[in-house]
Amino acid sequence: MKTLGQNRHFLLSGLALSLVACGTGEQTNGEENFPSRAIEIVSWATPGGPTDLLSRALSQVAPKYFDGQRVNVSTRQGGAGAAGMQYLKGRETDPHVLGVFTASGTVNMATGRIPFAPGDFTPIIRIQLDPFLIAVRDDSPYRSLQDFFSDARSRPGEVSISGFGAASAHFLGFARLLAEAGEPDVRWIAYEGSADAVVAALGGHTDAAHTNYNIVREHLRAGSMRVLGVALPITALPDIKTYEEQGFDLGPVHWRGVVGPPGLSEHARSDLRDRLLKTIHDPDFQNYMAEAAMEYAVMENADAFGNWMAEEVDDSQELLRRLGLLND
Amino acid sequence: MSSLIEGLISAIQPVNLGALLAGTTLGVFAGAMPGLSSTVGLALVLPVTFALDPTPALLMMISIYMAAEYGGSITAIAIGVPGSSPALATTFDGFSLTRRGEARRAFGISLFSSVSGGVLGAILLMAALGPLARAAIAFGPAEYFGLGVFGLSIVANLVGDDPIKGIVSALLGLLFFTVGLDVLTGTPRLTMGTTTLMDGLGLVPMLIGFFAITEAFNTVAGGRRPTTQKGDLGGTLPRPRELIRLWPSILRGSTIGGVIGAIPGAGATIASIVAWNEERRISKTPERFGKGIPAGIAAPEAANNACVGAAMIPLLGLGIPGSASAAVLLGGLMVQGVAPGPLLLTEQKELVYALYAGFLVAVLLMLAVGLLGIPIWIRVVRLRPSILMSLVVGISLIGTFALRGNPYDAWTALFFGLVGFAMLRRGYPLVPAVLGLILGPMIETNYRRALTLSSGSHAAFTESPIALVLILLAGVSFVAPAVRNRLVQRKEERS
Repeated sequence: MKTLGQNRHFLLSGLALSLVACGTGEQTNGEENFPSRAIEIVSWATPGGPTDLLSRALSQVAPKYFDGQRVNVSTRQGGAGAAGMQYLKGRETDPHVLGVFTASGTVNMATGRIPFAPGDFTPIIRIQLDPFLIAVRDDSPYRSLQDFFSDARSRPGEVSISGFGAASAHFLGFARLLAEAGEPDVRWIAYEGSADAVVAALGGHTDAAHTNYNIVREHLRAGSMRVLGVALPITALPDIKTYEEQGFDLGPVHWRGVVGPPGLSEHARSDLRDRLLKTIHDPDFQNYMAEAAMEYAVMENADAFGNWMAEEVDDSQELLRRLGLLND
Repeated sequence: MSSLIEGLISAIQPVNLGALLAGTTLGVFAGAMPGLSSTVGLALVLPVTFALDPTPALLMMISIYMAAEYGGSITAIAIGVPGSSPALATTFDGFSLTRRGEARRAFGISLFSSVSGGVLGAILLMAALGPLARAAIAFGPAEYFGLGVFGLSIVANLVGDDPIKGIVSALLGLLFFTVGLDVLTGTPRLTMGTTTLMDGLGLVPMLIGFFAITEAFNTVAGGRRPTTQKGDLGGTLPRPRELIRLWPSILRGSTIGGVIGAIPGAGATIASIVAWNEERRISKTPERFGKGIPAGIAAPEAANNACVGAAMIPLLGLGIPGSASAAVLLGGLMVQGVAPGPLLLTEQKELVYALYAGFLVAVLLMLAVGLLGIPIWIRVVRLRPSILMSLVVGISLIGTFALRGNPYDAWTALFFGLVGFAMLRRGYPLVPAVLGLILGPMIETNYRRALTLSSGSHAAFTESPIALVLILLAGVSFVAPAVRNRLVQRKEERS
């Protein structure tokens, strides 16, 4: 019995060691003959959430375009994404390690919550937009953004909207819209996730919800909720007016794209971009995009994507400073 | 009814049955391994489900979810470490029975209660999907605050001999929860300038630290008694008569699990602790709770399995995931092109009924796996503490790391192990601190949300009847043990 126990213990330590070895082992970068081994997509997002699902959709479709190499999703959560980003940043010049970056990442950079800048990664390709929208319960008196804001003006501080997070991409998206509307006093009620924010509006606890299309899609079809306006046109909602069409001149977006570790060569970058372009235009990937209700917004010029990320950090910082939410 | 029979026929097709069996086995494993949980189990099979058709994919996921809630009790009973957080309350009485040499009885009760709770939760789902989904969203910030305070008041029943030490422990838990990003302002709190503490200290590392690692230290220090006496074979399985007598407890536990499970964000951990506490409250012998009373296993185990069916109510009826596990399930469904929401029941009737039937078959498979497994669990109980605890620490630390792929979580678990050991040595109970960590966020964020919505007026809490009742119940629950003790003392003085 004793020896069996000891053997088990030994086996177990072996397992632990091999796990650690997988995590930190040094591998050759091998830019020549790319891809020379499995591709790793680092995911620091919530499992099952839209960003995690994009990583997993890529991992399903991409092997066809990466010479049959496996594409694995590895989970490294923690520190508002910092744990995964730190890992990606550390795999300098290795084109086999990728990550899915989002608007939440640039906002976290802007607030200084995570100690990274867009320059810490190599931008490769922007893939999709997940436009924000404002939705209300079917019995709400509001029919348009104008209704919502004019009620807020007549009852300052009494109209509320629920949304994901504080000083988050969602909050900043709404803050930009609010600035366009002349800063009426609307209460932002922060929730742990976009779905929780929709529950609050559905339950009548808040007057509206700031969220994404895929979360309210079924409620729109069932008629239990209504959309007041969308940040950018949504294919499935051709009749809903955008913020711009309702006189608010802006397009706050929620985007997702792929970045690599820092220091990728020009050659590796364009190679990755070409393979990813083929991946995202594969019928299977197109199916995922449709099921997940995402909009294609491909930005295949890596430099443009990088500049755009950097601009987004600057814009967000400016807005945060104006709102008194950033002290530096 | 005919749709349900069609669903049952579909569920026993070879592919679907295979998916259910694989899911059940993996679920029991994920639940029983400290560190892993139903959420991790679901996340692990998510890529696998992409390759399956919607029905087997869905069946595999729900069987994992269901079986993991049972699996957690195995570890709780065998070694006193909750295999996953909803089994926390099961450690109170389950492990006490094991120590008395009645492990088989405890395993049998937990399996029977889990199976019954699972079936009752599924029946609730079938009977009341639409109306309950609408009722669940009536829970707003004030009501969540009430529920959180009510949950925390249970601390009064867990403090042991020294109420002050129990309260200190609960406050410590509340202090630990404040570490991390504040949801309402996005400001880092007590993170000491690092990103590692940004997401907080985490419930899983705390449970691992407090139960697995603290016990390991305790074993080294000679403080852990051998689990079973010499020559003891772990007792016998409970007799059918005993199980039937436990029905009232199972029914009460399932009702609590059904109600709390349907409320998005409340979850199985809170439900099972509330179920244990209510069972103790109405019992004629409350002093026997925590010392190995069968009802103390039956109620929480029925509650956490009833939560699985109940958690499907907001998920299927509104497309709202009510728990972390439900969120992964939703992700899996969306990839399959199944969009849960108000129209699901009318548009995808076949799939919904296959799911209902899948629940029933999954529960039966869970019973089979559980019965076959009990001899194996008993072998774990009979391991020598020195061997057992090194295994537990190794497995737990790997599990903690695997949860988020973050080595820092293993360090947090070690930190909590030291804190827990220090507390244990000085006679501070550990469970109040865990309750503080679980309920702190619910209490604080919803208190602040309610006040923001009411322009700072506390009337928000008295205007809502649900919130008011919960807060009053919390008051009673908090004071009752002290009053009861006082009365007992007075009676003794007189006689």
